[in-house]
Amino acid sequence: MQYNFKKITTVPTAKDFIDVVLSRTQRQTPTVVHRGYAITRIRQFYMRKVKYTQTSWNEKLSKILEDFPRVDDIHPFYSDLLNVLYDKDHYKLALGQLNTAKNIIDKIAKDYVKLLKYGDSLYRCKQLKRAALGRMCTIMKKHAASLAYLEQVRQHMSRLPSIDPNTRTILVCGYPNVGKSSFMNKVTRADVEVQPYAFTTKSIYVGHTDYKYLRWQVLDTPGILDRPLEERNTIEMQSITAMAHLRAVVLYIVDASEQCGYTIKQQADLFHSIKPLFANKPLVIAVNKVDVRKLEDLKPEDAALIAGMRAAVRGPAALTLGEEEELPCMSTLSEEGVMEVKRVCCDKLLAARVEQKLASRRAGEVLNRLHVAQPKPRDNISRPAVIPHSVAINKAKKASGELKIVTEKMLQEENGGAGVYNADLRKNYLLDNDDWKYDIMPEIYNGKNVADFIDPEIDERLAELEREEEELEAKFQEDKAAAEMEMEPDLDDEEKELLGQVRARRAKLVSEHRRKKSVANNVPTMRRDRTSDPERRLTTTRMKESLGAMGIDTTLAVARARSASAVREGRKRSRSLAGNGGDEDVDAMDADGEEKPRVHSSKSRSVSVARRTSKSKGAGLRDESEKMRAQKLADKAQRKMNKRAKTGEADRVIITKMPKHLFSGKRGNGKTDRR
Amino acid sequence: MAVRLQYENSNDIGVFANLTNSYCITALGGSENFYSVFQSELASDIPVVKTSIAGTRLVGRMSVGNKNGLLLPNSVTDQELLHMRNSLPDDLIIQRVDERLSALGNCIACNDYVALIHPDLDEETEEIVADVLGVEVFRQTIAGNTLVGSYCCFTNQGGVVHPQTTIQDLDELSSLLQVPLVAGTMNRGSDVISAGLIANDWAAFCGLDTTSTELQVVENILKLKQLQPSSLVTNLRASLVDALV
Repeated sequence: MQYNFKKITTVPTAKDFIDVVLSRTQRQTPTVVHRGYAITRIRQFYMRKVKYTQTSWNEKLSKILEDFPRVDDIHPFYSDLLNVLYDKDHYKLALGQLNTAKNIIDKIAKDYVKLLKYGDSLYRCKQLKRAALGRMCTIMKKHAASLAYLEQVRQHMSRLPSIDPNTRTILVCGYPNVGKSSFMNKVTRADVEVQPYAFTTKSIYVGHTDYKYLRWQVLDTPGILDRPLEERNTIEMQSITAMAHLRAVVLYIVDASEQCGYTIKQQADLFHSIKPLFANKPLVIAVNKVDVRKLEDLKPEDAALIAGMRAAVRGPAALTLGEEEELPCMSTLSEEGVMEVKRVCCDKLLAARVEQKLASRRAGEVLNRLHVAQPKPRDNISRPAVIPHSVAINKAKKASGELKIVTEKMLQEENGGAGVYNADLRKNYLLDNDDWKYDIMPEIYNGKNVADFIDPEIDERLAELEREEEELEAKFQEDKAAAEMEMEPDLDDEEKELLGQVRARRAKLVSEHRRKKSVANNVPTMRRDRTSDPERRLTTTRMKESLGAMGIDTTLAVARARSASAVREGRKRSRSLAGNGGDEDVDAMDADGEEKPRVHSSKSRSVSVARRTSKSKGAGLRDESEKMRAQKLADKAQRKMNKRAKTGEADRVIITKMPKHLFSGKRGNGKTDRR
Repeated sequence: MAVRLQYENSNDIGVFANLTNSYCITALGGSENFYSVFQSELASDIPVVKTSIAGTRLVGRMSVGNKNGLLLPNSVTDQELLHMRNSLPDDLIIQRVDERLSALGNCIACNDYVALIHPDLDEETEEIVADVLGVEVFRQTIAGNTLVGSYCCFTNQGGVVHPQTTIQDLDELSSLLQVPLVAGTMNRGSDVISAGLIANDWAAFCGLDTTSTELQVVENILKLKQLQPSSLVTNLRASLVDALV
């Protein structure tokens, strides 16, 4: 989260606030109303004004309430800082008052809108509006003090340094005038004011410095005196707040020269009294102004005091980095040791932060990316890199410009650019003879893929196959001979002959069956030609013979069979004589129109017309010529239409898209039937 | 030195090229730009061959090889095979593999001594890999991914693996492969390492999107510069942990 209080909108004074809101209402709502208007319209006019004013107040107040940070929701450092600087209660009260004002305004608007509904004249409505707006303004006027206070707070907050409470921070603290700001100026570019009197620094300053590729925030705090917390002033309390709440490395600066006006004893006492604030924080004690008095020149009791502080640093609460780095000395005047102090501080904090972060859950996701896995040798095989000797030589040559590679891209550019240039794929073939590069190899030869037959050991394989084949052949012959020896049972000649006949007959039957089956399966209808009757068995002669043998007159049957054969002209439609064969269907008139006695008992049955058996020539018309005439007439009728490429009667047509009588007329409310 | 390049507006150059210590195969393209980058870097030392595999341009994913041999999927055509045979040195074994998982580049990752293969690959393919490429073969996964060829890229000097590989896995893989390994990304955070990086023992090529940080990691771990790979990490470890976690 970013703590930036610079974006809080300005809080206007009560007077300005009222002016802004009222003029806005005046500008944004209608201004003309007449006595003659309908009363509802007049009411609406004034209700709108009241409502609009209320919304404006609401918007503006909500924005203020939203922009100011809530003390309880922000980082404890900031919440304490706000408390120290602006008094938390006062701050909360001011915001609370604005919130109440907002609610009261809402309520007023609601009430007056309700009242306006009963306004019976323009005058009364207007008076109600005036009352509503007036009450709203009065309420805001009452909170003039809160608004003024909040504006001051806003201005002060926008000038607070933007301290990130979660980042890497070095917190410089100590008595006034010990050189905190000087240190800050040496390690950052903050350019803090340095003066030879106490409390030069009256608030927390921020500077930034770089160390180990990271940004570090350096906080210069006002000096603090050794007194109980209740007696501390606002300036000191800021330092205390920072020390209490920031997860930072604390750099406690001790002035060894005592030029600041406080003895080492006093400084040590202060250190011990604020020590509880440093619990769980890395801590560095730096001795400053060693250009005036060296550490060795200190009085033994002072040296003992410093050693005492050192011991406290080393205690369980603090984190140790290295023994000899515990007490760095510096001189901010001669810049001696300043960087060493910074280094110690940064290293200590970094170590603490890393330790803390490694314990966190997120560490695993990142740590694997910072880990270089080194192989543990598993055998004695060496696996060296394979780099041709030419690589280094050619690299040097390329660098010196001795070796220039003509790339395909260059060729491409010379020869018409991409899309035009056709690269030679065979150029770099590594063959025994360079003349072979462009040899044409057949891909398909005699319908076979040549590549399938390329085999360097083809001869040996062929020989092997042939040998195998011979072996198999020999084996087969042996087996066959053996089987024959076993198979032949003792049969005499006659039996053998019979067996032969049986076998021949069976073979014939099988082949006959197969032929028929194949014919039957492949032909959709039974054929009446020689293919379906290869033995010429289905002849009229045979029919005559067989029927004659049964004592049946065959002339009619023969005639009919003949007429059915495809090649002949169809016979005239005729009826067989009734009762002539006994099996003929006789139910109609004779061919020559002679009346026949009806055979059906019932007269109700109409005379059946036999289904047409052969294709008629006229297709519904009398004969071929009639049919042709009809066709011609039809064509002629169509000709004109075709000639003009006009729509015919078969084409889809919409005569009138929206017939007037169907679409005219009004439609009533909620009715689709318009008439 | 690692080179950044692109194949027809795609950063996944590992899909379109295959690089080993004894040859380089690149895809045919609309222009010669891609091929020429390899040509200018490598052609003085090893053959750089332009070809398609099974009619596709995905030569990097379809084939796998090292200095000893080249494995191609069953779908490679005879003409392509002939072209490669003619273009590559005779002592190199080119072998077609009848494997169901035909994107061999995705299923197999190897250097000149060790190979990692997809756990579902045939026994027969495993044997072919061992024989033709002359390597020890291990069935492995990387960060739970079975496509070992996609998620790692290693040479005889070092390698980069999937960014989510745990430290234990990294150590185990490193001991198997006998090269230093680091988990990293290519192409501005892509975890498909071998699509973004193709490398041999003295050259590396990355997708154009690769950041300079990723490039530094690659150059250090693959020993393309005269620097110990671990030096950077040991110096900066604390800063990195503090900045990243």
